[in-house]
Amino acid sequence: MEEPTAKGTLTSLSSMFPVEDAQKAVKRVQDTLAEKQQELERVKEFIADNATLINHVPFGKAAFFPGRLIHTNEFLVLLGEGYYADRTSKQTVEILKRRGKVLDSQVDSLKAMMKDLQAETSFFYTTASEAAEGLLEIREEYVEENSSAKKSESDSVKEDSPSLSEAGNLKAEDEDEEYARIMSRLDELEKEELAAEIENRSGENTQNNASESDNKDDDEQAKSVFDQFSDQISLHHNLRHPEGFESSNTQRTKKKVTFEELANNYNRQQDLGDQSCTGLAVQAVFQDEKSQGKSLANNAKADAAEKALRLPEVKEDAEAASSSRKEIPAQTSKPGFDSDKAFTGSIIEHPHNIQPNPQGQSGSSSKPFISQPSKPVSRFKMQRK
Amino acid sequence: MGSSAALRELQRELENKANDLSKLQKDIAKNHQVRKKYTIQLGENELVLKELGLLNEGANVYKLIGPVLVNQDLAEANANVRKRIDYISAELKRLDATLQDLEEKQNSKKEAILKVQQRIQSLQAAKAKA
Repeated sequence: MEEPTAKGTLTSLSSMFPVEDAQKAVKRVQDTLAEKQQELERVKEFIADNATLINHVPFGKAAFFPGRLIHTNEFLVLLGEGYYADRTSKQTVEILKRRGKVLDSQVDSLKAMMKDLQAETSFFYTTASEAAEGLLEIREEYVEENSSAKKSESDSVKEDSPSLSEAGNLKAEDEDEEYARIMSRLDELEKEELAAEIENRSGENTQNNASESDNKDDDEQAKSVFDQFSDQISLHHNLRHPEGFESSNTQRTKKKVTFEELANNYNRQQDLGDQSCTGLAVQAVFQDEKSQGKSLANNAKADAAEKALRLPEVKEDAEAASSSRKEIPAQTSKPGFDSDKAFTGSIIEHPHNIQPNPQGQSGSSSKPFISQPSKPVSRFKMQRK
Repeated sequence: MGSSAALRELQRELENKANDLSKLQKDIAKNHQVRKKYTIQLGENELVLKELGLLNEGANVYKLIGPVLVNQDLAEANANVRKRIDYISAELKRLDATLQDLEEKQNSKKEAILKVQQRIQSLQAAKAKA
């Protein structure tokens, strides 16, 4: 009998699960059972309440009899226009929600309409009060002034405004208007310039061609010069955009100057235009021969996308050109015949175009605008500071 | 005497025209009311159509005819509502046309009345001078 004992041990159940604990567990389960029972009772009460929601059914107008609802989940919903449908409570709720949405949207639209009407009434009210106060509406016809007259007129304003610190708001507004006007005018002029430039280029072509025909020996050099020149033109063209406003200002200041002065001015300008052009052209000519540094600077300028930066540079350039101008004739005589000719051709062209300028400013002023910026800008800047 | 007779005539005319105008205005008001009713019905019918569309097949639909609820087929109810909507929109169009017509008439009547009034005034002024 020892063996079975060796195979297993005997332990009393009471040692593993004490009696008290087991009894406690029983009690706990019974407690929870009772709780659930109570809950069930409550739910049943709810159900009963729901079923007997109406415990007095109207019988005619005067009488009631006791009754209760049996099918509490069966609704007969009025859809409108005498149509009814059998629905469950959930479906009914959905129907009612949809109806509420429709009504809400209607209310919203009505509110919006009311708002509009209120705004209208307030507007009319204000106009009425304004009319009662005797407010006046002032309207002035906008007359397109003659461009020269406008410029001379606006000139005075423009001249004054920087110097007079007490220039009021009116003037500022004036300037704004003027600025817009000027810009529009500039756009026009720019278009004209573009058109004229194309013509000019063709003219140059012919001129250059002529020079080439004169000097057939060095065709290639002439071409190179022409290329350089066209480059320069494009540079000028680029310049015009940032300078547009200022150049127009300078034009106006010019207008103020008396006629002799004008003539002088233009002479000077021609000179300067020549200078800048000659400088650049000469540089172009020299590029192959001498002033490598200059040409490099030139190229850098042409490449530089920042126009604002280019402005001062060009001025310097013009100055440098003027300084180097005296040397130029001597130097130009040195280089090849054809290059000289091409260069002179380019010079001739500027004066030709400048001269018509004083007579008709609005006239197709193509080259003057190209040549002017180099000088007028500097002048204007000086005035400003 | 002739002028006073003419004046009387004019006044009678004015009265007649005023009566006509008031009748027209009444008509317009009635028309407006009918139109309003129809628009409300149209909205209701559209709502019903929407709900009927949302119902699943086999749902019980009833129509209240007088005091009795009559069971109706869903498709039939749908078709009926559609027909009703068509009818109401046609009616609304017709009412709009008649309303416009009436308003034009009203305006012309008003103008006529104004003219008659002016004539009366001028006659009275002439009389006062004389």
